[in-house]
Amino acid sequence: MRRLTTYLVALTLAAAHQLDAPRASAGSSEALAIVVNRSNPVDSLSLAELRAIFLSSRSHWANERRITLVMREPGEPERKTIVHDVCGMNENQLKTHVLHGLFTGEILVSPKVLATASGVRKFIFNVPGAIGYLRVSDVDDSVKVLRIDNLLPTDKGYKLRVQDQTGY
Amino acid sequence: MRLLIFTRSKIAQRFLMIGLMAGLGGSALNAQQASDGSIADKETLQFLLKRIDQLEARVKQLESDRQPAGAPVQTALTSPPERPSTPPSAPVESNATTLAAAAPKPIPQSSSESEPPQPDNAMAERMDMSKTLLRIRGFGDISFHGDTQKGDTTSFSLGELDLFITSDISDKFKFMSEVVFEGGPDTIYGVTSGEGENVFSVDVERYLLQYSHNDYFTLSAGRGHTAIGYYNTAYHHSTWLQTTTGRPFLFEFEDNGGILPIHNVGATVSGLVPSGRLGLHYVAEIGNGRESRTPFMNEPVQNEISDQNHKAFNLAAFARPEGIPGLQTGFSVYRDILSPADASRIGETILAAHAVLIRAKYEWLNEALLIRHAPFDSATVFHTPGFYTQVSEQFGAFRPYVRYQYVNVPRKEPVFPDVALRHGPSLGLRYDASESVALKFQYDYTFLRDQRGVNGLTLQVGFTF
Repeated sequence: MRRLTTYLVALTLAAAHQLDAPRASAGSSEALAIVVNRSNPVDSLSLAELRAIFLSSRSHWANERRITLVMREPGEPERKTIVHDVCGMNENQLKTHVLHGLFTGEILVSPKVLATASGVRKFIFNVPGAIGYLRVSDVDDSVKVLRIDNLLPTDKGYKLRVQDQTGY
Repeated sequence: MRLLIFTRSKIAQRFLMIGLMAGLGGSALNAQQASDGSIADKETLQFLLKRIDQLEARVKQLESDRQPAGAPVQTALTSPPERPSTPPSAPVESNATTLAAAAPKPIPQSSSESEPPQPDNAMAERMDMSKTLLRIRGFGDISFHGDTQKGDTTSFSLGELDLFITSDISDKFKFMSEVVFEGGPDTIYGVTSGEGENVFSVDVERYLLQYSHNDYFTLSAGRGHTAIGYYNTAYHHSTWLQTTTGRPFLFEFEDNGGILPIHNVGATVSGLVPSGRLGLHYVAEIGNGRESRTPFMNEPVQNEISDQNHKAFNLAAFARPEGIPGLQTGFSVYRDILSPADASRIGETILAAHAVLIRAKYEWLNEALLIRHAPFDSATVFHTPGFYTQVSEQFGAFRPYVRYQYVNVPRKEPVFPDVALRHGPSLGLRYDASESVALKFQYDYTFLRDQRGVNGLTLQVGFTF
């Protein structure tokens, strides 16, 4: 009986681990794709426009739908890339910026913070106004990848890259 | 597509089932070898097999209840999310091959992940009376202050306890307010009122319903901060957000001796002006304006009844050029007619201009304004100029700052003669003890007309919670 229980627990843990196993990409660099809901008519943004969106200077898409920002949790390499390379801030500065924006009313809603890449995909799939970011290896058909400065994540010269081992 | 979308949770469930069967098989074999058909183990096995059947039936039921994998969640109160009618293809057509080659096989969506409720359910949540719609953020400060002003005593003071409350009523509507608990008497145009020096009172400082149609049009109604200059709409009632221990005296609140109509009850339209990289914004406000009857025994902001039919209005424009991040320049024109009870009506015009540069490491705030009071029964016009400049730079957790401010009210100014001339520097140091707590130490010297200058020291802890 004890053996059965142990076996079941081990299998359950193995299955759960497989659901969201961390990638073994120590020290590697990977392109970070900016993704939106597939119904979003936007195909391309400049880096300046992306900055305006992630700093909530722009709150609506051209079709007047409200922009919903999707962020990974603080400390995640993907988030560091956005906070540093797109927003030009560190984590505390971004936090103060968002709080200040909410306080003045210029930021309509706080960014949605999700723990996993699959959560980001699922959220963006479900929310027409959502925008977020994924490693290119996490991208699937459920979301739409935007060109940034007319470049796709796989194009040479694409600026947004996740550095797994380096912090900002 | 549905076949492809075979969720990882299902894989996990199948895995579990296979493991369970294998475990059960192993256990059963062992049991047979060990005790050759122990009745107790057989009963256990029977029970477990029955339980597996029940669980399998339950899994099937749940799967049949579920919508197709990956389909958007819908409720009776939500509109269906937009979904392309065609099957999903590669993310961007023109370069699809490249991206598809770089990306692994599509990762199906997992239904087993515990994600927070999706916004598609937001309406249902809003209608759920068991859940609160309010988000509350608090700000507060505690100060220790002493100065050389005659009659003042060195004191610990509780600053404003500011509860910033917001609620997303719908995608387009939002409510926001600031409820402030503050101690001490009100001082309005030099007239002190209130129940006593140490009595706390509650003020609803902001009370706004906001409709945001797009980036170019936002309509707000209620009580808010007048868009005169920059400071008034940037920091509101939070001391923690400000670098310094207090507001410039140009922007002091009405009940703390301030000379501007800081609050206004009315309506505001604001938004972006299509201007490309220039980043132009506009603000147009209309409201009751400031209480103008004397003596000022009550609330200076006309929350319920305006003392006249004429309405105050304010027009503002500012630019945030894309090429210079952190820069904002703008101006505003405010117009009202004051109706003191014991004097003729007075035309009030306030012109303000600002240029601020705020970046992560440093800030530079500059504002100037001119208040023009023109009594209707006189040819004399009174001009009150004022300005302040403030610079600070961040060094790690420390941010030293300096500010110089100036305001010069004419001697016979009919509305606030008590303010007179005052100007002087402030030097201070802000230390961010944590991401939510800031310690500030500030020295002020204020020159006053016909009086001795005042030295003041303030130690303050400001926080958000």
